[in-house]
Amino acid sequence: MLKLENQPPSCYNLTMSFFISLGIVFLAMLIMASLQLQPGVFALFYHYALGKYSKSRASDMALLFILGAEVSAACLFLCAYYIVNLFFLCQFRPETSFFAWFIVGVLIALAFMGFFCYFRPGTGTKLFISRKCARALDAHALNAKSRSDAFTLGALSGVCEIPFTMPLYLITSMEIMEMSVEFFPSHLLTILYIVVPTLPLFFIRWKYQTGHNLANIERSRVKDKAFTRIILCLSYVAISVLFIYFRILA
Amino acid sequence: MKDSLDLKTVIKNLKIDARGLGIPSGAAEVFIDKSVQAAEKSLRSKKIITEKDLKVAIAKELKKYNADFAYVYENRDKII
Repeated sequence: MLKLENQPPSCYNLTMSFFISLGIVFLAMLIMASLQLQPGVFALFYHYALGKYSKSRASDMALLFILGAEVSAACLFLCAYYIVNLFFLCQFRPETSFFAWFIVGVLIALAFMGFFCYFRPGTGTKLFISRKCARALDAHALNAKSRSDAFTLGALSGVCEIPFTMPLYLITSMEIMEMSVEFFPSHLLTILYIVVPTLPLFFIRWKYQTGHNLANIERSRVKDKAFTRIILCLSYVAISVLFIYFRILA
Repeated sequence: MKDSLDLKTVIKNLKIDARGLGIPSGAAEVFIDKSVQAAEKSLRSKKIITEKDLKVAIAKELKKYNADFAYVYENRDKII
């Protein structure tokens, strides 16, 4: 820290800015990994696959599901990246404009929604998506017959979570684009940002492979419901505060 | 009851659930048959039987044989 203060201010600011960006991206990763739609659909899908096919086939299909989830995350991230890039190309600084305040407003709204509306009231882990959509996902999971079905379901479940993920994609793409330090490859962070949110899916797959079943997994999800709410709410608020303080007001 | 609630689909889904939970197929068939029969018996006095009534009755019977099986059957539409 002392060394940094002795260096020229521009270098200090650059390093500071880098760590803020890193913090925002890691918080966004934490939120993405805490979202429950993909793990829920995945747990259901794996359960149905085990009920219909051999263990090895179910495991293969589960991998395709995870690949689908990652591909959809990559596509959504690319969309967000190009939207932000378009702003930069038009000499429009997204972080110092109305656009930034809009994103922050959405993030704060999502913090409240994460706490109050992400899980529907009642027992179980019913999520915010419409019941029609939930039934369609359930039916798709039940009727998935091939690896391509599994891939599509993974991608679809990622797309259904857009209301909670799109502002995060926009913010992280803004931060990754602004990262201009030489000692850290921002592409690595992009890959991490796409892969880390699917770690819960690998964890569920591992649980199934070690003898757990849907009942155990769902019980633990119900037990962690309040914790997930708090994590979602606090992380959204933290990202908003970091973004306002270090990007918009700075 | 069979016509309106499509018991065949319920039994088919129960079999998938049982296999997904790792219950041996022979045991699963016995659990399902006994539970469905008991549920039908308990609901016989009702004039109108809804899907929820049937579900609650089957889950109640399944709980006697396998708690995980009953839990999954009862909560399947509450997961997402």
